[in-house]
Amino acid sequence: MDIDIVEIVATPEVQTVVTPEVQFAVTPEVHSVASVATPEVQSTDTPPSVKIKTKKSKWDSESENEESESERKINKKKRNAKKALKATVDSEVDELGSQHESATEGVKRLKVSNDAVESPSIKSASPAAESVNEIIEVPSPQENTVSTPQSVVEQIIKPVSSKPPMLTGCRSVDNYEKLNRIEEGAYGVVFRARDKATGEIVALKKLKLDKEKNGFPITSLREVHTLLLAKHPNIVNVREIVVGDALKQIFIVMDFIEHDLKSLMEDMQSPFLQSEVKTIMLQLLSAVAMLHDNWIIHRDLKTSNLLLNNRGQIKVADFGLARKYGSPLGPMTELVVTLWYRAPELLLGAKKYSTAVDMWSVGCILGELVNKEPLLPGRTEIDQLDKIFKLLGMPNEKIWPGFSKLPHAKNIPYLKQSHNSIRSRFPYLTENGIDLIARLLTYDPAKRITAEEALKHPYFTESPLPKDPEMFPTWPSKGGGERRKSFVSPSAPNVAHGMGELDEEDQAFLGSIFENQGGNDYGFRLKV
Amino acid sequence: MSKLSLQNAILTYEQLETTPSKIDEIPEDLEDNLRKLGCDLIQSAGILLRLPQVAMATAQVLFQRFFYVASLRKFSIRDIGMGSLFLASKVQESPCKIRDLINVYHYLIQRYRNLPVEPLEYFGSEVYEMKEALTVAEMQILKKLGFNVHVQLPYGLMVNYLKVLELTEHETIPQKAWGYLNDALRTNVYVCYQPPTIACAVIWLAARVAQVKLPTSPAWWELFESELEDIL
Ligand SMILES: Nc1ncnc2c1ncn2[C@@H]1O[C@H](COP(=O)(O)OP(=O)(O)OP(=O)(O)O)[C@@H](O)[C@H]1O
Ligand SMILES: [Mg+2]
Repeated sequence: MDIDIVEIVATPEVQTVVTPEVQFAVTPEVHSVASVATPEVQSTDTPPSVKIKTKKSKWDSESENEESESERKINKKKRNAKKALKATVDSEVDELGSQHESATEGVKRLKVSNDAVESPSIKSASPAAESVNEIIEVPSPQENTVSTPQSVVEQIIKPVSSKPPMLTGCRSVDNYEKLNRIEEGAYGVVFRARDKATGEIVALKKLKLDKEKNGFPITSLREVHTLLLAKHPNIVNVREIVVGDALKQIFIVMDFIEHDLKSLMEDMQSPFLQSEVKTIMLQLLSAVAMLHDNWIIHRDLKTSNLLLNNRGQIKVADFGLARKYGSPLGPMTELVVTLWYRAPELLLGAKKYSTAVDMWSVGCILGELVNKEPLLPGRTEIDQLDKIFKLLGMPNEKIWPGFSKLPHAKNIPYLKQSHNSIRSRFPYLTENGIDLIARLLTYDPAKRITAEEALKHPYFTESPLPKDPEMFPTWPSKGGGERRKSFVSPSAPNVAHGMGELDEEDQAFLGSIFENQGGNDYGFRLKV
Repeated sequence: MSKLSLQNAILTYEQLETTPSKIDEIPEDLEDNLRKLGCDLIQSAGILLRLPQVAMATAQVLFQRFFYVASLRKFSIRDIGMGSLFLASKVQESPCKIRDLINVYHYLIQRYRNLPVEPLEYFGSEVYEMKEALTVAEMQILKKLGFNVHVQLPYGLMVNYLKVLELTEHETIPQKAWGYLNDALRTNVYVCYQPPTIACAVIWLAARVAQVKLPTSPAWWELFESELEDIL
């Protein structure tokens, strides 16, 4: 250690480090940058100290892998970089500082900063801890984990690969041979394709970017990012991102999975067996528990986004709406989740919501699996609420504190019915099965069962027991070209797919369309 | 083989030595200067746009990475700087508006050139041209970096290490270490080392300057899984 210090201090440039001018931190500009950013970074990036140690071994093994030869070279390079850095620090920081100061004034003249103050992005600059509490009514994930989202990220990074990635560009889609179109979703087209090098069959999801006015959609960035974060046996595996010839052709390459539950059920003669429903549900819950544990809300769980391979394995797909919460976010849009699977708090306009919205969707999925038909197929938002009330009875302040204060609570049709009729909808389900559905479809999101709890529900341990996935029957795959499918089912609202981040012009335009929401008929917002 | 990763991309020695710009016969010191200027612009623009520091930091890392896979002859630091910042603001969940970003860049560049600063015309061709350049640049960055755009930053780690070392209350060390992290963005440090190493290095440097001795047994940096050799 000493030798190196001497070496560094001995070089003339570096000596400046020790001279008083280098106290650059005092320069007003740098100072303010640091102090503005500190609270935020602390709360988002900071893993609690407990976590630091658990990471140790992984990092150790990683550094062992590296060849010392090139390392030494890089070291030298870095040392040079550092020296250079220091040499420039004092001279440039001053310069930069004054530049910024006058720059700020200049921009005020340009009125840029005015706009900026009002834009939602600025709100996110407030300390994260605060906004988390404000925005999210946090159920259990936080209670049993001390970690901030970022620390969780760091936990997960390691298993993904122990070697840092190489810096290489996207490969071309020409590495794959397109076989057939699987289905055109609302926001992307999915192809079945063959990897020319290995012969493996994959799915290519083409991202729809053409109409994007705000560059690459933040939703697609989130989709790619969450898919990377969420490595789990029951979450679809992403292989890479490839590009086409045109600038805007981008494809997500995934493992190909034979079925999605929606079209599979349409073709089945009779519903899944109870033992099969349990296996599917356990896998779904395990994936959802993992997501929620990592502060990710899927926000579009539904049967068409659940894939099933021929070995009885469920793979959750379509992270187009997923997002991490807990980072400093403004209020989230309530326009998420396809109508039939949308939780009542979203229908009633809540902007603060949590992982519980996914659990409601899981409840709808369970009902659909059991009866082989959608549980709550509403046509409009009002109709959706009506169907929910008919199934579960009218909510009130007693069973759902805070209900009457939700934005749309005043505008909904009142239903006298106060009892729930779940039992009559599921004549063949056991008491435990009914109980699980009721807990998933609990009005008050704070009381709704969590994925972790649901995994332990007695429904899964009573007879008939979950079926071994390997024993699942196999069906012909539609996406595999064995039969084309042609169904229409609703999608998550368009707004959630990036329209929230439109130009001012467009927002003004939209504003006029959505103005009379809250009236009886706001079903026009839906894309069915 | 996974091409996508959440870990920071670390360059090979060859990638560091033979940058595309070098191959394009751009002198090394010119490249260094352009990189610095590009990063300064990003940092200044971010401040004016009131973006969080994590967005500026991410943008600068993306900017640095980009010019290890593309040449300064083919891509301008203005466009790639704007593209990096735009992309980074989304990656860090505080998206900025294209129009604001363009205005700020226009302003900064006019100032840099010592030209009078006049606001851009709302529907002018220059706005249109910059908008186009910005979105193309953003796409180029995504493609050329193989979508590895989620940068792990050492800021949070560093604060934590300071806590463990009980240095958070020290008069100069936290400020200084923080400043070093920001300054290091303008160098290739972030493409050479993983965040824990960088965090340790700046603490070491700051402590050195403040003449504070850090515990050596157990060696403090081992706590944070960094190799001494790397730190220095
Ligand atoms: N990895 C895969 N393997 C096989 N089929 C897939 C795969 N991924 C998606 N699909 C099929 O493509 C359909 C649409 O995919 P996905 O849900 O990801 O796209 P989307 O455009 O977001 O659709 P939507 O918004 O309508 O839900 C799925 O319902 C499924 O049938
Ligand atoms: Mg889908």
